[in-house]
Amino acid sequence: MPVKLIKNEDSSSLLLERIMYTKRYTLFLDRNRCVGCELCEIACPKEAIKVIKPSEFKEMEEPPKKITATVSEDKCNFCGICSEICIFGAFKQSVDGKDFIPVLESESFPRIIHEVKIDESKCPPGCRICEEACPLHLINVKFDSERKVIKVDVDSEHCPGCRICEAKCPYNAIHTRKIITGVIKINVDLCPEGCRYCVDACPIPDVLSIADDGKVRVNESFCVYCGACKKACPVNGAIELKRISFYHAPVKSGAWNKALEKLTSTLDMSKELRSKSFLKAYDSVKRLHMGGKTKR
Amino acid sequence: MSVKSNVEDIRIGVFVCHCGLNIAGVVNVKEVTEYARTLPNVVFAIDNRYTCSDPGQEEIKDAIKKYNLNRVVVAACSPRMHEFTFRRTIAEAGLNPYLLEMANIREHCSWAHPSHPKEATEKAKELIKMAVAKARLLAPLEPIKVPVTSTALVIGGGIAGINAALELAEMGFKVYLLEKKESIGGHMAQLDKTFPTLDCSICIEGPKMVDVARHPNIEIISFADLVKVDGYIGNFTVKIRKNPRYVLEDKCTGCGECVAVCPIEYPNDWDMNLGVRKAISVPFPQAVPLVYRINRDYCIECYKCVDACGPRQAIDFDQKPEEIELKVGAIVVATGYDIYLPEEGNLYGYGKYTNVITSLEFERLILAAGPTGGHVIRASDGKRPKSVVFIQCVGSRDVNKYPYCSNFCCMYTLKHTIQLKEHYGADIDVYVFYMDLRSHFKGYEEFYQRAREMGVNFIRGRVTRIEEDPKTKNLIVYAEDTFLGEPITLEAEMVVLATAAIPTKGSEEIARLLNIPRGTDGFFLESHPKLKPLDTPVDGIFLAGACQGPKDIPYSVAQGCGAAARAATILSKPYVTIEPIVAVVDSDKCRNTKVKCGICAMKCPYGAITADPGKPAVVTPAKCHGCGTCAAECPADAITQMHFTDAQILAQIDAALEENPEDKILGICCNWCAYAGADLAGTSRFEYPPNIRMVRVMCSGRVDRDFVLYALKKGAGMILIGACHPYDCHYIDGNLKMRVRMEALQKALEKLGMTPDRLRIEYVSAAEGIKFAQIVKEMTSKLKELGRERIKAENEKLRPHIERMLSRKSAA
Repeated sequence: MPVKLIKNEDSSSLLLERIMYTKRYTLFLDRNRCVGCELCEIACPKEAIKVIKPSEFKEMEEPPKKITATVSEDKCNFCGICSEICIFGAFKQSVDGKDFIPVLESESFPRIIHEVKIDESKCPPGCRICEEACPLHLINVKFDSERKVIKVDVDSEHCPGCRICEAKCPYNAIHTRKIITGVIKINVDLCPEGCRYCVDACPIPDVLSIADDGKVRVNESFCVYCGACKKACPVNGAIELKRISFYHAPVKSGAWNKALEKLTSTLDMSKELRSKSFLKAYDSVKRLHMGGKTKR
Repeated sequence: MSVKSNVEDIRIGVFVCHCGLNIAGVVNVKEVTEYARTLPNVVFAIDNRYTCSDPGQEEIKDAIKKYNLNRVVVAACSPRMHEFTFRRTIAEAGLNPYLLEMANIREHCSWAHPSHPKEATEKAKELIKMAVAKARLLAPLEPIKVPVTSTALVIGGGIAGINAALELAEMGFKVYLLEKKESIGGHMAQLDKTFPTLDCSICIEGPKMVDVARHPNIEIISFADLVKVDGYIGNFTVKIRKNPRYVLEDKCTGCGECVAVCPIEYPNDWDMNLGVRKAISVPFPQAVPLVYRINRDYCIECYKCVDACGPRQAIDFDQKPEEIELKVGAIVVATGYDIYLPEEGNLYGYGKYTNVITSLEFERLILAAGPTGGHVIRASDGKRPKSVVFIQCVGSRDVNKYPYCSNFCCMYTLKHTIQLKEHYGADIDVYVFYMDLRSHFKGYEEFYQRAREMGVNFIRGRVTRIEEDPKTKNLIVYAEDTFLGEPITLEAEMVVLATAAIPTKGSEEIARLLNIPRGTDGFFLESHPKLKPLDTPVDGIFLAGACQGPKDIPYSVAQGCGAAARAATILSKPYVTIEPIVAVVDSDKCRNTKVKCGICAMKCPYGAITADPGKPAVVTPAKCHGCGTCAAECPADAITQMHFTDAQILAQIDAALEENPEDKILGICCNWCAYAGADLAGTSRFEYPPNIRMVRVMCSGRVDRDFVLYALKKGAGMILIGACHPYDCHYIDGNLKMRVRMEALQKALEKLGMTPDRLRIEYVSAAEGIKFAQIVKEMTSKLKELGRERIKAENEKLRPHIERMLSRKSAA
């Protein structure tokens, strides 16, 4: 049986498979979750992913209705980097039917940390503010009437960390952390008359809006710096997006450094490297010091 | 470049042999000898009973000294018989051996015309006249001596190449073993067991591979490609590109710690892509050399391997391809074969139905170290099949795909059936669909018997089609049982295809680089199918193993050792001598200096000629085999084949056609087939009319248009050009080049008014004496039918055109 490389895609999903006699690799993209940002396209080390407009989908009966990612079956090597870097959790990589991201196992890529902490003791019964606030409907508040306990389930895997829930919670019960930090600026002078592509593309409501003067306004406090706006923008240079850092578990990997450099900048990447080496030095000094102590 | 001798100085001695009564019984030898004395430049002529006997040879030697002879003509048997003897004789008397010419008055005269003694005597006279005419123009030649580099290159590290390399190294020669893949071992290292003994393949090949790696005389150059080959026997210059492994060969210890940390997997083609390997890995654990490789097509550059390698520092992401140059004296080509994968068109559902696999895939399945740990399982459900159907001759013996028999498929299928029966006994049903079962070697038939005794079902018949049950993924096999003459339908859980062995992907490139021919099947062509099975037409390049045609392991091993012995015949000597009858370019006449010509370089079957723009063509004598095709093709007559010069051949034609040319047939025949066929006609006493006069050339490729035109100008009645059969040419394809040239000339001459049959091109093999006699008979009766007057008239009509054609050429 020869190796089968299969690509099946429609408007709502993409399934890439490498079927071999003894192993089966699958990469699944849920296009309902895909916001058409640029993270996977930039991070893919094999340049296998393209985020393209509906018109660029060729030979498809019913192409997706929005900007979304597509993966080349010839280039993809099923490393799983796209699965991890997608802050919306739109990709799912599996081997032999089990979720498996090879690069995480070997620490060739960091685990991107989606952090939403909820102190349910502060929640008053009946409050559903956070559930209603979440733009991606990832929060589910349950009330156990018998035990009189409130339980809040958060699907953090798919949470990009916009922090709207935290902002909206009047009881200070939620603490979230942004995955990506950065800066976004819109050069409204360059905006074409009446254009609202970026506003429509942004997955988080109220981050981008059209002000009374007809210009696009940014509310940076909820921006996740995914770059979907930039992908949608028809004018080069109208949106300036600069990512600075990612919240991730520590790793030592060339592949991450390269991805980080492309996602942020050489300067920001080297900053992370420097802080890492500082931490390492700090660690070793501490260890030396402590070691000395115990000996005495 | 004809060597001009002062005609006054030529002193020819003619020795006419009686050959007992073989010649003297028909030809009046005394009369012939008398006639020979009258020929210009002949200063001595004598007849003797047996010229080839010791007294006969002594007589020649004495005469050379006594009469100060400087050319010798021996009128006796065929030069194919005794030319070598008499060359040695005159050399012993101090003459250059190439100053000898023979007149074939036995095979071509007395034996062929016993019932016409008078005509035979006249023919003998003319044959001697022709020989004397050529002898007058003979020039001394010195054999070419070429120094030998005593190192060898073996291309391909399969079992044939391994054996060739080991044998040569044991003989004391330095050997470079070039392997395209990462490891040597070839197909044999992929196999589980070997037939008919069922011993483990890698267990017997592995130690040999290690021997190769350890041998002080062998240098393995793996993961490298052949880029360029220049030079000739004893002196090849080989350029090789070593592809980057990104792991330093001298630093890698083969520990494999890098593999454990690598996150990326990709299909392992060593496992027929059934299993995977890491982006840094070796294809199989026993790989030689045991050096890991990073496949940059898959690597994501996380550098985890660099960390794992640590202080050994064997990983170098900046490694570049490296070109190296080697000097070798001989080359053994052992590039093996590929397995045909019937993916295109989904033959028998391969590539479409999950449970249809090839035999080599089956081999990786049943191998304990394979991707399934030796468990024969189905890809569709991971379960062991309860019934397996084997289909033979998939692609091979198929006129639409590969018409030849792939040699070893019957035997490996027998092996697979026996293995299945050994593993699972009565718990598995095994069927084999075959056309013929070929078990033609030591122990093979017994092996077949064993399979039958174990309960394997052999069904003689072709499978027409296969369908898949979409639910169970079982396969419905539709076939015909030709013994019962009725259709048969079987449901099998797995189907194994014994697919054809085909030429390797790169063999076209190798053939181009080495200038060695391939057969119609695409495998490399040996010099002679019986007597030179290991030689290529290019001196110094030999073949071993399946690159010449599918072969099993013992045959490939034997060929590897044989090719090593053939290569050693060159490498063991400080020099090789080459017959000096090579082509020489007159650089003053060569057109290539002025216009873009290069016809000679294009037509040379051996790639012995280079014609760089603006420079005269250059012949590399050591590569030249002396067919003379270039000399015939050269539009400026700038090329001369030594010992077969234009002047010499035209002088022979002149002499042959001096008297009554209209009644005669001029034959120009190649030494190896047509001339030998004529010899056989004489030896077998097939009589034919005595009006043919033969000119011998080494290859029919030498036959220049000018020879034909000149003969017609001289008034020849008929012209016969005799050549080897199309694929029998001793100079690869000189005969075919002659054919193209002569057919064009035939058409032109016919347009000008020549009767078509007057110029005949015939393929006559050395075994077709009767065919030769028949051709001469046919031509003679045609000649008579046309009549002298008509031929004369035709020739007169042709003359101005011929004059023009000949003069235009001499002007150019």
